[in-house]
Amino acid sequence: MKKLLVLFLFLSASAFAQKEMPNVTLKSEKNKSYNVKTDFAEKDKLYVFTFWATWCVPCINELDAINEHYAQWSKELNMEVIAVSIDDARTQKRVKPLLNGKKWPYNVLLDTNQDLKRALAIANVPYTVVVKNKKVVYVHNGYSQGAEKELYNKLKQL
Amino acid sequence: MRKLSLLLLSLSVGNLCAQENDSIPKKDHGKVFGGFESNSQWYLNDKERGLTHPEDPIRSNNYLLVNYQIGKFTAGVQVESYEPNALLNYNPGFKGTDLATYYASYKSDKFEATAGYFYEQFGSGLLLRAWEDRALGINTALRGGRILFRPSDNIRLTALYGRQRTGFDVAHGDVYGFDSDLNLSQLFKFETSDLSVGASYVGRYEKIDMPNPPVDELTSAFAGRFNFIHNSFYISGEYNYKQKDILLNALNTLNYNFVKPGNAVLLNFGYSKEGLGIDATLRRLENMGFLSERTPTSAGDGLSTSLNFNDKVLNYTPALTKQHHSNLANIYVFQAQSRVSFVDPTIMMSGETGGQIDIFYDFAKETTLGGKYGTKVALNLSSWYNLPGSYRFNPAQYETNFFGVGQKYFSDYNIEVKKQLSESWHTAFSYINQYYNKEWLQGGEEVNTNIVIAEATYNFSPSKSIRVEAEHMWADADFKNWAGGTVELNINDKYSLYVWDIMNYGNDDEKKQVHYYNVGGAYRIGATRVALNYGRQRGGLVCVGGVCRFVPESTGLSMQISTAF
Repeated sequence: MKKLLVLFLFLSASAFAQKEMPNVTLKSEKNKSYNVKTDFAEKDKLYVFTFWATWCVPCINELDAINEHYAQWSKELNMEVIAVSIDDARTQKRVKPLLNGKKWPYNVLLDTNQDLKRALAIANVPYTVVVKNKKVVYVHNGYSQGAEKELYNKLKQL
Repeated sequence: MRKLSLLLLSLSVGNLCAQENDSIPKKDHGKVFGGFESNSQWYLNDKERGLTHPEDPIRSNNYLLVNYQIGKFTAGVQVESYEPNALLNYNPGFKGTDLATYYASYKSDKFEATAGYFYEQFGSGLLLRAWEDRALGINTALRGGRILFRPSDNIRLTALYGRQRTGFDVAHGDVYGFDSDLNLSQLFKFETSDLSVGASYVGRYEKIDMPNPPVDELTSAFAGRFNFIHNSFYISGEYNYKQKDILLNALNTLNYNFVKPGNAVLLNFGYSKEGLGIDATLRRLENMGFLSERTPTSAGDGLSTSLNFNDKVLNYTPALTKQHHSNLANIYVFQAQSRVSFVDPTIMMSGETGGQIDIFYDFAKETTLGGKYGTKVALNLSSWYNLPGSYRFNPAQYETNFFGVGQKYFSDYNIEVKKQLSESWHTAFSYINQYYNKEWLQGGEEVNTNIVIAEATYNFSPSKSIRVEAEHMWADADFKNWAGGTVELNINDKYSLYVWDIMNYGNDDEKKQVHYYNVGGAYRIGATRVALNYGRQRGGLVCVGGVCRFVPESTGLSMQISTAF
């Protein structure tokens, strides 16, 4: 157990190594294909990948909260939110009505086979990955009401 | 354990080097990425509930996934460790520490090839889904090879062969698969519409040890599907057919005189525009149990088989119902009835039929019902039944009708209203009405429930908040009434604490009127999360995504660690 802990620390330390998004192709809810590594690569633009599911209450709260400020954030920063749904066949059909019912303006990708979730070793949602110039520059997991403001402060620094 | 440590060490070193190499962009030494997850529990004695801890009271499930990518090549391994034993009521195949999965793949824009273990889903998974869910103890990855070919943006072809993972081994049935996905929008020069179609084949070959068996040793299944989007309207459908195969009797052994084909129909359509979403799904499953080995293996306790652990299951037939987050709304959870199951002469099931409707509506800001911040409403209705028709117990036989419904299994009618009152107050209210036919689904009584849930979140500051939730369930049978509450404190973006309790105060047996209290917290930073919980686990089904695992009653301390690198 002790050994495991030491090694765990090693791993956490290495988590800060800059890395790229994995080479995974996903379809959007509009049925268009995107490669998450190469299709989100505009110079100096911040791509905020938020992993969510229709059954995850904090995820929906987070995306609702970001939506409240999205127009202002996009004006001040060169940024875009990509909402990656990890819903499987059970709940995937609710993605489209839900995002329209909630007036979400985000580009929504469907990770039905959980290829991207697995490649990034995401254990729980909500989970946020910020990519700039093809490098992962910030990772955060979980959401509590109000935390979108911290995300915004972080984005301003990146 | 030692092997695991060595592996971890070499990996960390590799990773550090990778970091250095980032500054020399010309030379690509590849990169290492993956994750680690650990779920441990310390089971304790609980006098009030009369529980004694199991042998090996401290148990731990651990997963280490390591991948290496260089150019177009990626390879990876997953090591799993269940020491000194797996958490209670896991698939008995998960035992000890071993290499669990491994793969190597090549991916270019048009072509992808994988050898080793891989995960896959055709269409909505009604014929084939190889997947992993650690909380449920499911890993049905296929071991073999897969080729994916995308000659253009509009065509995707997949061919695969494999044997399905079970525990640290593979099942002995051979699985062959082919899938095609074509987007026809460009062909028809659609500008505001999108049309795609697909077809798949899945074959499972397993030798039958008898002369002149009543069915082919290779069981073939076919499916066709379409998906059409036009502006705010969309519709999709799928038809699946499974060739005749030998069915199981009540003791989960093969009944060679009970041979039937299976089929599944799925239809989904909806309309959505800004502020409104309507979605409806209809599904009918008849004899759609599809296993990688015809006969389920006994777990050795004389009661359960591999079916109880969702093991050696080739397809995915989740319950199409809303997944609730409240504690009480998860006491009676429906699991889809895809298989033929003849329990006794009064309970004979051949599948399920029913549907689900969702409506999402957002009352705009500055309207009467919207108020200053808007009001969000979600309505969900679902109802599921046995297939109508004629059934005979002995000798077993059935004939079903395509339309209509048989015995009701389950229904759930619920509404949720979310309202922000001010900058610092968020509130939500839910009402849920459920019917659960426990007599047919598990054995017991039919139950009707009404559940109300009210919750409020107050922000002291942007990052500090408190959430309070109260819930009550009225139930007319079985365990009867429950009450519960939750208080959750988010101290900042990193630390959160909670305490919750549910009490079965209405139970007819006074000894069972106990509190199920839980207290815990989580620490989150970057990609790492550490969570601790102390409390009582209610015995019953733990469900993720409409698939459930039975867990026994327990009391104890649990710890979860997850990280990615």
